Amino acid sequence: MNPTIDYHAILPELILSGTLVVVLVVDVFLRPPRKWLAMPLSFAGVLAAFVATLTLIGADRTTFGGSYHVDPFAVLFKVFFLSVAMIVLFLSLRYFREGRYYQGEYYFLLLSSVLGCVMMPSSRDLLMLFISLELVSAPAFLIAAFRKNDPRSNEAGLKFFLIGVLSSAVMLYGMSLIYGVTGSTNLYEIGKALAGHLGGQETLALAAILFVVTGFAFKVSAFPFQFWAPDTYEGAPVPVTAFLASASKAAGFTGLLQLMFVAFIHQAAFWGPVFAAFSIFTMSIGNLVALQQRQAVRLLAYSSIAQAGYMLLPFALAGHGVDKEAFAAAVTYILIYAIMNLGAFAVVVAVSRKSSALLIADFAGLMRNAPLLALAMTIFMVSLAGVPPTAGFWGKFFVFRAGIDAGGIGIALAVVMVVNSVISLFYYLAIPRQMILVEGPEEPMRSPALVTFVAALAAAAVIAVFVYPDLIAHFPPLSTLVGS
Amino acid sequence: MTGQEYAFVVLALVGTVGAVRLVTAKNVVHAALYLVVTLAMVGSIYLVLGAEFVGWVQILIYVGAIVILFLFGLMLTKAPIGRESLDNQQRGLALLVALAVLAGLVFLIQDAFHWGDRKMNLVHNTTGEVGRSIFQHYVLPFEAVSFILLAALIGAVVLARREERE
Amino acid sequence: MGWLDWMLLLARIVLTFFMLLFALVIVIWLERKFIADMQTRPGPLRAGPRGVLITLADGMKLFFKESFVPTLADRPVYLIAPILAVVPAFLAFSVIPWGTHVTLFGREIPFQIADLNIGILWVLAMTSMTVYAVVLAGWSSGSNYPLLGSVRSSAQMISYEVGMGLALISVLMFTGHLKMSEIVAGQGGYYWGFVPRWNFIPQFPAFLLYLIAGLAETNRPPFDLPEAESELVAGFHTEYSGWRFAMLYLGEYLNTITVAAIATTLFLGGWRGPHPSFLPWLWPIAWFALKILVIFYVYVWIRGTMPRIRYDRLMAFGWKLLIPLGLFWVLATGTIVLLPGLYGSRGRLVAVGLIVGIGMLLLLAADVLERPRSRSREGASP
Repeated sequence: MNPTIDYHAILPELILSGTLVVVLVVDVFLRPPRKWLAMPLSFAGVLAAFVATLTLIGADRTTFGGSYHVDPFAVLFKVFFLSVAMIVLFLSLRYFREGRYYQGEYYFLLLSSVLGCVMMPSSRDLLMLFISLELVSAPAFLIAAFRKNDPRSNEAGLKFFLIGVLSSAVMLYGMSLIYGVTGSTNLYEIGKALAGHLGGQETLALAAILFVVTGFAFKVSAFPFQFWAPDTYEGAPVPVTAFLASASKAAGFTGLLQLMFVAFIHQAAFWGPVFAAFSIFTMSIGNLVALQQRQAVRLLAYSSIAQAGYMLLPFALAGHGVDKEAFAAAVTYILIYAIMNLGAFAVVVAVSRKSSALLIADFAGLMRNAPLLALAMTIFMVSLAGVPPTAGFWGKFFVFRAGIDAGGIGIALAVVMVVNSVISLFYYLAIPRQMILVEGPEEPMRSPALVTFVAALAAAAVIAVFVYPDLIAHFPPLSTLVGS
Repeated sequence: MTGQEYAFVVLALVGTVGAVRLVTAKNVVHAALYLVVTLAMVGSIYLVLGAEFVGWVQILIYVGAIVILFLFGLMLTKAPIGRESLDNQQRGLALLVALAVLAGLVFLIQDAFHWGDRKMNLVHNTTGEVGRSIFQHYVLPFEAVSFILLAALIGAVVLARREERE
Repeated sequence: MGWLDWMLLLARIVLTFFMLLFALVIVIWLERKFIADMQTRPGPLRAGPRGVLITLADGMKLFFKESFVPTLADRPVYLIAPILAVVPAFLAFSVIPWGTHVTLFGREIPFQIADLNIGILWVLAMTSMTVYAVVLAGWSSGSNYPLLGSVRSSAQMISYEVGMGLALISVLMFTGHLKMSEIVAGQGGYYWGFVPRWNFIPQFPAFLLYLIAGLAETNRPPFDLPEAESELVAGFHTEYSGWRFAMLYLGEYLNTITVAAIATTLFLGGWRGPHPSFLPWLWPIAWFALKILVIFYVYVWIRGTMPRIRYDRLMAFGWKLLIPLGLFWVLATGTIVLLPGLYGSRGRLVAVGLIVGIGMLLLLAADVLERPRSRSREGASP
């Protein structure tokens, strides 16, 4: 009577869940000076989950009656999310230890959010997808407000929460309509149902898709639902912002990828143009506003909005015969973006120890004070702008090529993207200019070893991916959900 | 119309009135009470549709616990005692948005299902079936939800807790 | 259903209603007598033989008194609250089988208004409604003491509702039914030939949990903080008078009866009990009443002996003891129910062993982890 559960397939999730509980319980028994021990503990758990995920490479397993798939796509993203989690843990240690926060609870909440991320790419069921997304967001609302004494952090948490809840409600309503039309919550079943004759319910189905997309557009901060992002990013603790801008955002995109390319692919002619508009506006608005920013985190926030625009671009190409290529381009872009963005935030974390205001002017003279960090930051900025010799170039290149191959509207989109990339150079290069050309106060900066390590690692990865694009471009085409 | 349809119309009307009064009420406690009416009607509609378990759980959880918690929160913070009121200046805009959404949804749903030409047979689920479905097919989301709740609980405690000064 | 069935249903509703009213009269008198006994004083004497009509007399008095509405009161809510105190308690009672059945007009008529498929859920839903009466009565009075009383009560009742729910869940898991009639049916027969197979024996922790939570749900001493007269004048009903006060007062006793009736049904075998074959429908009702009275007596006994508990202790007791215990017992019940199916008769042994073992471990852990409290703090609050 009991269906067998494939425990191996959900091993990473099980390990993470166990770690969560252990972190929480152990924290109760730690005395205040030792609270930071929650971090190594969390790290061990994430590492174990990471190893467990590695054993699943090449697997293609289904469990829970088809609602949970562990296929190459899922494994790729699980590996990615767990890596991001480890990096964010590295960034968090010093920050939270020195800032006298509730450390055990922070790591617990962070890992809950990671758990949601890890479940996301496997969820092939509307219900599962929604709950994973909530599991990503709900703890994130709370850790965004973790700097309790700072009104900006309160604002960050509150805005994030209100927007998040609103978008969830819209999305859930859309999902319920989709269930009403198709009679299933399984993404593949929905795909089949929507491919067939809908008997006068097309309009409702399209509206439902629009609702769901709107919900996700909030989550990935696409225009016109982007306004919460800068305030939230600025107010939240910097490691949390790093997490939000990389893992949380990528989780939103993985959900979107699965929905769009599995469940709604037959309606691509309808939602493709919607995404085209999303993409153009998101990247343009993000870039134009970013030009005026004086604060590093706000700048990165607007940059992340603009980057979301690039990531949305491949969605607009669906249904033009290049689905596979577009899908792979989106996945590649998400992965590359996360690496360079995390690296940039690592440097910001290091600088935040010196000046918590984090103005761009605070980066002055970094080249002299902390050459390694400054060099890494330069690489990240160049990469975010998409200029060789960095990984960001390949990310943009794949998207660009998919656009050209698609023809028609794709070419127009590709052109807009190139124009935007050129604009973005102005503000991305403002930081390296500040670090290298402007004289700053001469005081050698001591950055925590872990943070420096993360920055160096990310910088090395960005360069390495440029030299050997196969490193990262090899996996996404294999792990596509399209055409299977 | 069948008795069931009459029941539905009555419940839906009462629920709608409750919902409208909920947003127009000037006193938050009254608003919470109108919310009770609306939620109870939603639960009753589930009952009319033959979803006994879901219906009663809706009433038990929403009416019996969540609104009470609202009231509790209101009283702990600043529920106006007696006949004080609160309001903001966004009524016109809110009305506009609400009407637009309503019109859109009414159009969409009647366009898809039409008025009354589509009859579906009610499926009576027993509580046992609901339980089996949750704990077998949907056990993973179920557990994930428990993590969401745990995280929300702990996060809320952390955020609400007063800092200890040394 | 023909018109006869509707009439019979109506008759059952009316009958149950009046029976409850009658029970109220008796129960209030009994409580006063019991308490008087414990305090070695006579209690009510004048109205009727041994004062049995005292409740009626009090009711008449309150009915003819002026029932005014305070100026600052929120009128509609103030007027609704007393009704909310009474109605859910009646409704909760409607699923309780308070006797077997009689055969009239060729139909088998159960002594139960409605045998819902989700009986326990209904009970939970209705008992959770009773919070509204207290909260709204306190808030709408437009005065501070009642407000404090209602804040206290909402926190208290919600907290203990969780414990109560956990107790009910273990019973539900143990019996495998949500329907009241089947729960009673499941309690027939005997252990070892003479001990009745009532749920309170295998489910004793749940029984205790339920009784304690029920005490708090009904705002009875020692959990009567919402109306602690020494702190809050009279708590949430300070501003009520006349028949509205009577309603609130009756509502509390009605709730107590309902809680006792539910405990009887779920744990004490309902209307079951040995009886002669003479008048077979009457004895179950008598048994049912007797069992309710026993539980009620325990409640009065507790009222007579226990001092009121301090508020923070009340919450700590609910959240840190009752709920963990309830959770543990739900797990334990799951083990008891499932393991025999998996491992045969040996499983039962394993289950009991496991539960005892885990319980002892928990106790040990609690003992080890409990830090010695600083003396000064304890001394400060005698």
